[in-house]
Amino acid sequence: MKTILSRPVLTLTAALLLGALGALALTAAPASSTPPKTLENLQAAFNGESNAHARYLAFAQKADEEGYGQVASLFRAAARAEEIHAANHAEVIKKMGGAPTADIQKPEVKSTRENLEAAIRGESYERDTMYPDFLKVARQERNRDAIQTFNYAKTAEAEHARLYGNALQNLDSMKGAGKGTYYVCTICGYTTTKLDFAKCPSCFNPVDKYVQVD
Amino acid sequence: MIEFPPIPSWDGLHPLIIHFPVGLLLVAPVFIILSLVSKRSGRAYAMAALILMLLGTAAVFVAVSTGEAAGQLAERTPEINRVLTHHEELAETTRIVFSVLTAAFALILFGPKLLKRELGRVPSAVLTLIFLVLYMAGALVLSNTAHNGGTLVHGYGVHALVDTPAATGQAAAAPSAPSAFERD
Repeated sequence: MKTILSRPVLTLTAALLLGALGALALTAAPASSTPPKTLENLQAAFNGESNAHARYLAFAQKADEEGYGQVASLFRAAARAEEIHAANHAEVIKKMGGAPTADIQKPEVKSTRENLEAAIRGESYERDTMYPDFLKVARQERNRDAIQTFNYAKTAEAEHARLYGNALQNLDSMKGAGKGTYYVCTICGYTTTKLDFAKCPSCFNPVDKYVQVD
Repeated sequence: MIEFPPIPSWDGLHPLIIHFPVGLLLVAPVFIILSLVSKRSGRAYAMAALILMLLGTAAVFVAVSTGEAAGQLAERTPEINRVLTHHEELAETTRIVFSVLTAAFALILFGPKLLKRELGRVPSAVLTLIFLVLYMAGALVLSNTAHNGGTLVHGYGVHALVDTPAATGQAAAAPSAPSAFERD
């Protein structure tokens, strides 16, 4: 045993191990440069989320004026979620060497019923078309950060569409019913009415990362 | 020519690491049974079982963490969300159960020595048998977690983002079909 583990053998083994590790590190080095299509998609998503944030805050104000306190709370919660999505997208854009820019349009505010219908259309488009397409490209380009932020947004938008749909269905009974309570995950923007889980169903962070929005 | 595989990212480690808890923790009770039936090497078999449990439980911790990272990148639909959340809950339970079981078995092995109160052969065997029954319950949770994960991959096509040779710049010998992860 002592002769097998003599100093030259140990030195040679160590050198071989180091060489193997070096080769492994070289082969594992990232090969491609910044994928431009995903960066472009991130910019579009950042612009969309920033506008949605402004639009939902305006919708919330209108809902309050019309006496739909619970719908106003839902719009405020969704606005908070969109703000989180925009911040997440911006972080990835910066990481890829870009500068996040948004062209904030003046929101077109109508009646709360019409605003809910417009919000459902917007969320459904993001859930069914925009984010699935962006995810497809990000997966092809194997951009993990982009996949994560698009995934967070897509999952939350699906929930927003569902919540807006419920609100529209029960709008008449919501008149004068006071404020509602919603919870928004500060990591991924997932929005819910009940915190009946230990970890966020979308990003798996602890439930204490949620904030209450009224 | 020897080719080295790319070093997986943390999320990409999930499909590799998940086999360790299954293999190690389901083999450990075999060694516990051997420790009961072998008069000469009982202690050695028990020690081997404990080492397997320690390694397996450590692998569960890594599997949960890498699984959460992989889940953040996985394709999400309401149905996938339901299965994924259940898988995550089962994995959490597995982690707790095997942490407790491993600590309990270490206590069975070293407790008497620490307390300087040797247990007789029969009480020790009875204690180990009770432990084995509890272990079977833990193994059931582990199997359910593994099965649930298998359902996600093979039933719903939810794959971790594993780097292919083409993606890492290595020459691909054979053309690769797009993985299910890339499907939308």
